[in-house]
Amino acid sequence: MSRESPGERDVTPNAGRDSTRERDASPRAHRDTGHERDRLRVENLTTRFFTEEGQVNAVESVSFDVREDEILGIVGESGSGKSVTALSAIDLIESPGRVTDGEVWLREPDLAEEFRERTPDAVDGDFVDLRRLPKGVRRSLRGPKFSMIFQDPMSSFNPSLTVGEQIAEAVEVQRRASANPRSTRSRTQGYGLGKLIVDTLVPGREYTSDASRERAIELLEQVGIPDPVERADEYPHQFSGGMLQRAMVAQALAGEPDVLFADEPTTALDVTIQAQILDLLRDIQRDRGMSVVLITHDLGVIARMCDRVGVMYAGEVVERGSLADVFEQPTHPYTQGLLGSIPDVEDPAPRLQPIEGNVPNLVDSEMPDRCYFADRCPKAMEACLERPAERPVDGDPDHTARCVLADGEYDPATALPDDYFEEDPEATDAPAEGGAADD
Amino acid sequence: MSFARFLTKRLLQGAFVVWGVVTIVFGLRVIAPGDPANVLLPPDVDPEVRRQVVADLGLDEPLHVQYWEFISGIPVGDLGTSLTTGTEVTARVARSIPATLELAVAATVVAVIIAIPLGVVSATNRHEAPDYGATLFSLAGISTPNFWLGVMLIIILSVQLNWFPTSQRAIGLPAVLTFLFSGELEAAGAGFVTWLWYITLPAITLGTYFTALITRLTRSGMLDELGKTYVRASRAKGLPESLVRYRHVLRNTLIPIITVVGLQLGTLIGGAVITEFVFDWPGLGQVLINSINSRDWPMVQGSLIVISVGFVVVNIVVDTLYSYVNPRVGFDG
Repeated sequence: MSRESPGERDVTPNAGRDSTRERDASPRAHRDTGHERDRLRVENLTTRFFTEEGQVNAVESVSFDVREDEILGIVGESGSGKSVTALSAIDLIESPGRVTDGEVWLREPDLAEEFRERTPDAVDGDFVDLRRLPKGVRRSLRGPKFSMIFQDPMSSFNPSLTVGEQIAEAVEVQRRASANPRSTRSRTQGYGLGKLIVDTLVPGREYTSDASRERAIELLEQVGIPDPVERADEYPHQFSGGMLQRAMVAQALAGEPDVLFADEPTTALDVTIQAQILDLLRDIQRDRGMSVVLITHDLGVIARMCDRVGVMYAGEVVERGSLADVFEQPTHPYTQGLLGSIPDVEDPAPRLQPIEGNVPNLVDSEMPDRCYFADRCPKAMEACLERPAERPVDGDPDHTARCVLADGEYDPATALPDDYFEEDPEATDAPAEGGAADD
Repeated sequence: MSFARFLTKRLLQGAFVVWGVVTIVFGLRVIAPGDPANVLLPPDVDPEVRRQVVADLGLDEPLHVQYWEFISGIPVGDLGTSLTTGTEVTARVARSIPATLELAVAATVVAVIIAIPLGVVSATNRHEAPDYGATLFSLAGISTPNFWLGVMLIIILSVQLNWFPTSQRAIGLPAVLTFLFSGELEAAGAGFVTWLWYITLPAITLGTYFTALITRLTRSGMLDELGKTYVRASRAKGLPESLVRYRHVLRNTLIPIITVVGLQLGTLIGGAVITEFVFDWPGLGQVLINSINSRDWPMVQGSLIVISVGFVVVNIVVDTLYSYVNPRVGFDG
């Protein structure tokens, strides 16, 4: 398959997209003002898992920004750190994992005002750094600012509460928060164990109110669930996968979030249902002017849905930019490889070009001090034996790649021989371990 | 399946189990050594008198007739008469049921009240001091034999410190309730305090193993639940940690524990024998041990039947409750 063909096959979905785009003359038209429209800026986010097998560098200095009213795609193979990146951004990493470095800047003028005096480090203009805010404040942002939907809807709902009740619960949390903002940030949100026990044991006393339950039914209706009144009283196991994923979306919308993270939202579903869920996500994103971060391993989904893309490999974002930039002028050889490995119905080339080798396992002691992709890269050069920084492609700050090719040319004279990484990996790794330990 | 059908099915199953127990108990008497006539009569008795007594007891009939005699009395509550005292077995056993039930329920309450909070603290502070403390406690609790624990509690808390009575049951809960319903509130209050005072040590003794067991189950169950995706989803939608932990995780953890508590309650009804013996508690266990010692077969049979019926009833109640709290099971089980 030629270098151009990924771009060509992209034409079809893009064409359909552009025609829908023309209908809503949205502010998307002028992309250059993007930075002013940033809602979330993630900078150098680094997450480690401290397991018994050693330290795993799941997310390695990842940066990206999420703008108003857009769908940002994050694409990569399984194990490339996509999901952990999203969980790190909204502070849902659990032990033994920990976000060890980086900043998550959220545009939130009220909070910025509140913390400008107290913790000046955590404020930058209208932005606040979530990692420097108190834990209670971070928690209170989940729901009204961020929400997340997950891959498998069946395991993402509590099996022993009705779907309506679980959505109503998410509504109720926000209702109580706005009724009593002072207790919003406490660990129990003013809803202590004693009250909880009473509400559980005394019949007629519930955590959720009638208003919240009605709102839950409205939300179910909005995500296209037929007979929402009846379905609200059903348990997750009574739903089909597609219907339950719709309910999951309804639940995520309960707090009216600005940014919705969708972690492989269609992977566990039938192909026919996948399209419906993607359409639903896009409609909702447009109607509400929400930002969606769509995490997937499926390039077709990215092409169909996203405005901008980040490609992840071995815990790093190796390339990011607009959909057109990344799909039509892929710069990083990994991106090129990914695009070259999709079968093409219109041009059934005799053979696909898979990327040779395997994704590294991200254990710290085995991570080399060079470009992580060099051992699989068809264009590895001597310059690749140093860790590449993220750099603009041809001077465009909105299209970056973590690759020397971003602002350089492939030089066959310094190309590494094919068997370079096979003979003695220990020798090249030796200095890497010292370097990694310093981090 | 409707609730009525579910209940009918379970009751029929229960009746079948009880029939099995009754048959085995009858069989035991037939094969066990010791002729009941020997219990009643002096060794040098006239053979004619002996034959007469055996005939009166119906022991000269063929086995199937004896079996029918025995089993046909059970549905109408006739379990025969005691060989040693001549009293009705049904009346004697019925008199000892409240003491045993009180003890079993009190032990369960002690266990649940201590074990569930302990398990929660343990699971939510995994690999920290409270977790190690709770784990140590449950290990000790599981490995302490309750006859030893009972004796130790008596020596320390009753004999040395004089905080609790050493043994016996001064007043039963039925008597306390009688006072309450006849409006003698003061007597009822005093009676309840006395009852509590007497039952504390036996309940702790009987409940310790059970407490340890439930603590471990709560801990591991909760850790299991905490690792599930719905917990992460609940946090993602903004629920405060107390709601995630108690409304979602603990609730789901308790579903299987209800079964264990129920089964254990059944075991406690039959298994309080040693504790009842140590504390001279006038329950079924006492009756059973005394009647085994005196080869009082009708009494042994009677107490075993009552214990097995209790077990079956508790099981049905637990299954009903389980279907109620776990929507995935329904009444199909």
